[in-house]
Amino acid sequence: MNRMSQSLLLVLLGGAVLRVTVLSTTYVNYVKPGFRPFLIAAGVVILVLGVVGLVQEWRQPSVAGKGPSRTDDATGTHPAHTDDATGPGSAPVAAEGHGHHHGHDHSRVSRAAWLLCLPVFAIFLISPPPLGAFAARSEDAPSPPPAHAADAYVPLPADKATSMELGEFIGRAWGDANRSLADKKVTLTGFVVRSSKKDRWYVTRMQMSCCAADAIALKVAVFDAERPPDDTWVEVTGTWIAPKTDKIPNGTVPPQLAATDVTEIPQPFEPYE
Amino acid sequence: MPDRAVADRTIEIPPDAWGRRSTVAPVMPWVFGLVILLLLVGRIVLTPVLTAPALQTWATVFVAICVQALPFLVFGVLLSAAITAFVPPSFWTRALPRHPYAAVPVAGAAGAVLPGCECASVPVASGLMARGVTPAAALAFLLSSPAINPVVVVATAVAFPQQPLMVVSRFCASLAVAVLVGWVWLRFGRSSWLRVPSRPPASGSAWAAFRDAMRHDLLHAGGFLVVGGLTAATLNVVVPRAWLGSVAGLPVLSVIVLGLLAVLLSICSEADAFVAASLTAFSPTAKLAFLVVGPMVDLKLIALQAGTFGRSFAIRFVPLTFLLGIAASIVVGEVLL
Repeated sequence: MNRMSQSLLLVLLGGAVLRVTVLSTTYVNYVKPGFRPFLIAAGVVILVLGVVGLVQEWRQPSVAGKGPSRTDDATGTHPAHTDDATGPGSAPVAAEGHGHHHGHDHSRVSRAAWLLCLPVFAIFLISPPPLGAFAARSEDAPSPPPAHAADAYVPLPADKATSMELGEFIGRAWGDANRSLADKKVTLTGFVVRSSKKDRWYVTRMQMSCCAADAIALKVAVFDAERPPDDTWVEVTGTWIAPKTDKIPNGTVPPQLAATDVTEIPQPFEPYE
Repeated sequence: MPDRAVADRTIEIPPDAWGRRSTVAPVMPWVFGLVILLLLVGRIVLTPVLTAPALQTWATVFVAICVQALPFLVFGVLLSAAITAFVPPSFWTRALPRHPYAAVPVAGAAGAVLPGCECASVPVASGLMARGVTPAAALAFLLSSPAINPVVVVATAVAFPQQPLMVVSRFCASLAVAVLVGWVWLRFGRSSWLRVPSRPPASGSAWAAFRDAMRHDLLHAGGFLVVGGLTAATLNVVVPRAWLGSVAGLPVLSVIVLGLLAVLLSICSEADAFVAASLTAFSPTAKLAFLVVGPMVDLKLIALQAGTFGRSFAIRFVPLTFLLGIAASIVVGEVLL
């Protein structure tokens, strides 16, 4: 890989990173919103590195015969026409190979670097959506209760529906000694995942702590409501159905909700909890 | 070593069309334009086709791993290039104890100050070796810095609010593994296994050397990061986490299984504590193994290490680290948890 292709690849990569952070907000599909400044900084560094390389190459193309460029002088080792010189018989590289090798020869990079095109193509061509019903379905085991202290929950108002995150609902359903959810209306926001059982479906939200690779599905089973298609974003209002026995240990079945109202909504800005 | 360098070159396939054409500079803007055109046309032609949920889920996880690791990689590469270009080699001989066996624990403990995840530590360790730091000491730093730095310690404390001992165990076990691996490498390792990147001091401007080192390291490490991201995303989508439940109750097996899971999932060390905390069915010792092994051995790290230090290094270093990581987790878990 010669210096021109390297710079070009860096421009593409930096451009792709800036595309998902500056030109759009798709980065929230992959990482926490707070991560944006770091991503922008990284994208700018990569882009600048590539552009500087391109400008350098434009001014002083590293073609044999035109004389070595300034950078070549600086590191003082790699011949200008490195890509031609990858063959076994070519004298300059072979000679150089005896002195110092690999790490130092900065104008040559292993061909693995071309793989950096893959995320660029994935970002531009697939533009991956946030994790949805497919990812949530493959995870049959319901998610664990969040590690909150049991007495940390504030009482809910009796007269109106309270909006809460799925994580909080699950935490209250499983870990709340005061049973603060009982007979209170709540509104949950998430996407629809169908269930293997006919009488229910799941309102689901992926919980992410760092990036989408570590996301786990938070599910609440919804009863008494028509199931919208998978991946539809909905607001479900209803009341918690307390388990009939205490015999089922927490974390083996999702908590249940008797729905009174299901509203379709557009996807929220932050798809993960 | 020179033999290997030559051998590496001889097996290399001649460059592809781009590489060859690129030596004629005026052609390159056209190639650049062609790639842009491909992306634009592809957006119209291919994007409506690429909508299978499995593919999209895979792509989301793959892009997430790459995007998440990239800032850390850039940071690590910046630091490594700065070490190469601006820190004189004499600094390291003064900063570290002269005796290699003493240098290993010092370098391991120094890992506590570099905030970053594992992607940053590989280029930094390689930069340290290039600057004449004993490889074993640089390796101890490579292993300890993603596991015991302040950010990771705080994240672990947040993820295990009721178990402060988990933080202590993680710190101790990780540092112990890093130092032990360093010592084992010092005692039994051969220099021919490790491809130490040699970088003589730049003769010209330090900035040009800095830029060159950075571009090289970024592309090189980035390529291998993608290899790791590809594998981890595939496993993430293909292997359901549900089957884990069946082994959770078995004492030693569950420790090994969570160690292996840490390798496969390749979660950033700053996030793995939250995932470990979510594996409620497992014993604390098994979770500790997840936290100790994860930052030291995982798919994207293996790819990065093989790419940076050579394959013959990785096939010895990775199993050694994994086994010591499991062993240390069991011992520390027995004592503290």
